[in-house]
Amino acid sequence: MVGVWLERRNPARGSRWGGVNRAASALLLAATAVWTKPAATCADLLARGRELYVLCSSCHGDRGQGDRQRSAPAIGGLPQWYVEAQLHKFLAGERGYHPDDVTGLQMRPMAQAVHRGDDLQAVAAYVASLRPQPWPRTQHSGDTTRGQTLYATCIACHGADGKGNEALKAPRLAGQADWYLIDQLKKFRSGQRGAAPGDAMGAQMRAMVNVLPDDNAIADVVAYISSLRP
Amino acid sequence: MLSWLVPQASTSARDIDWLFTLILVTVGFWFVVAQAALFTLIFRFRRRPDVAAAYISGERKEEKRWISRPHALVIVCDIVLIAGALLTWKAVKQDLPPADERVRIIAQQWAWVFVHPGPDGKLDTDDDVRTVNDLRVKIDTTYHFELTSRDVVHSFSVPAFRLKQDAVPGRIVTGWFRPTRLGTYDIQCAEICGIGHALMPARLTVETPAEQAAWYASRSAQGG
Repeated sequence: MVGVWLERRNPARGSRWGGVNRAASALLLAATAVWTKPAATCADLLARGRELYVLCSSCHGDRGQGDRQRSAPAIGGLPQWYVEAQLHKFLAGERGYHPDDVTGLQMRPMAQAVHRGDDLQAVAAYVASLRPQPWPRTQHSGDTTRGQTLYATCIACHGADGKGNEALKAPRLAGQADWYLIDQLKKFRSGQRGAAPGDAMGAQMRAMVNVLPDDNAIADVVAYISSLRP
Repeated sequence: MLSWLVPQASTSARDIDWLFTLILVTVGFWFVVAQAALFTLIFRFRRRPDVAAAYISGERKEEKRWISRPHALVIVCDIVLIAGALLTWKAVKQDLPPADERVRIIAQQWAWVFVHPGPDGKLDTDDDVRTVNDLRVKIDTTYHFELTSRDVVHSFSVPAFRLKQDAVPGRIVTGWFRPTRLGTYDIQCAEICGIGHALMPARLTVETPAEQAAWYASRSAQGG
């Protein structure tokens, strides 16, 4: 590029500047070879993810165990593809877009902290590498038997064991905090989640949540999910 | 003068910049005069061969003048600056001109929610438009804002309006602004409000009434 620029600047002196041109090009190539970083290895990615996770740990905890007081779900051990997908949604304004979604609005700017380069993949890889931290039940009002019946609709995507299905972009539910699941199901129902243009998976989930007509049904199905082994 | 650096997009910006210029010119003029006097005296009474340095006790009348006259001038300047500051404070903070429209501003960790009055120009009606991090106002329209917070103390800061007002949970703070220049400007939180404080910017668009009507219509068509 430098060579081309010199050529254009000095069209009449092309031959005289030819040597400089070639030398500049060679220098540029050498500099590029030195400055170009090799592709990040898996270990590099995890190390970078660990650095970035410091920001996340202020709410989600240093082991990704979550914190109910901060309405932060357990994220340790969630699949990398799912964490990446959700961070992309927060970045694109497909999650945390609704004026009433207080916790989603908290998370939305956090995703902006990992928008550069492969930061998003790095933090997702690190989160996936953490050991899952199952939550104890905190809600005891749901009817597990009725919840099992209602869960029949969820099986198609989330699986009978609640372990999710990457092919269908359905996350693991077993082991997730019951208060968080209740909160999210209510958000899907009210349109605080899953109603943004472009969020196809969210739209699917909004349609599915219609099988849960009221708060009791949500409590029942979550009671059943909480009974599944993570 | 400040508008060279930050656009001047509201009537308050004009008032604040006037005060800024008054302070800058007053203080700047006397700074230059004081430095000129200092260096002139240093040069005029510089060390010379065979001239002994005089010990000046500052008790003679003509010596005391070098203290008493600048002192009096500084007091006069202070009075001018205080008067200017009070006039500006009254215009920007104490007077509340009648509102053409009202907007509600709700701060939270770490986002701004804005409630626009909608096509009917009134809050708390069915056509209100709520947005996240996106405030739209009409040019040459006096707005009253109702500012509150959902969680901790934030500060609603619009540098182009020279507006900064704390948002306190549990309180509704009323203020006003009148945009005078079309464009898009920054909104930022000016009070440390948690780990996401730096990630809490928003956008303010000053537009014509026709543009705002078109925006309301587009929102209505989208169902939101």
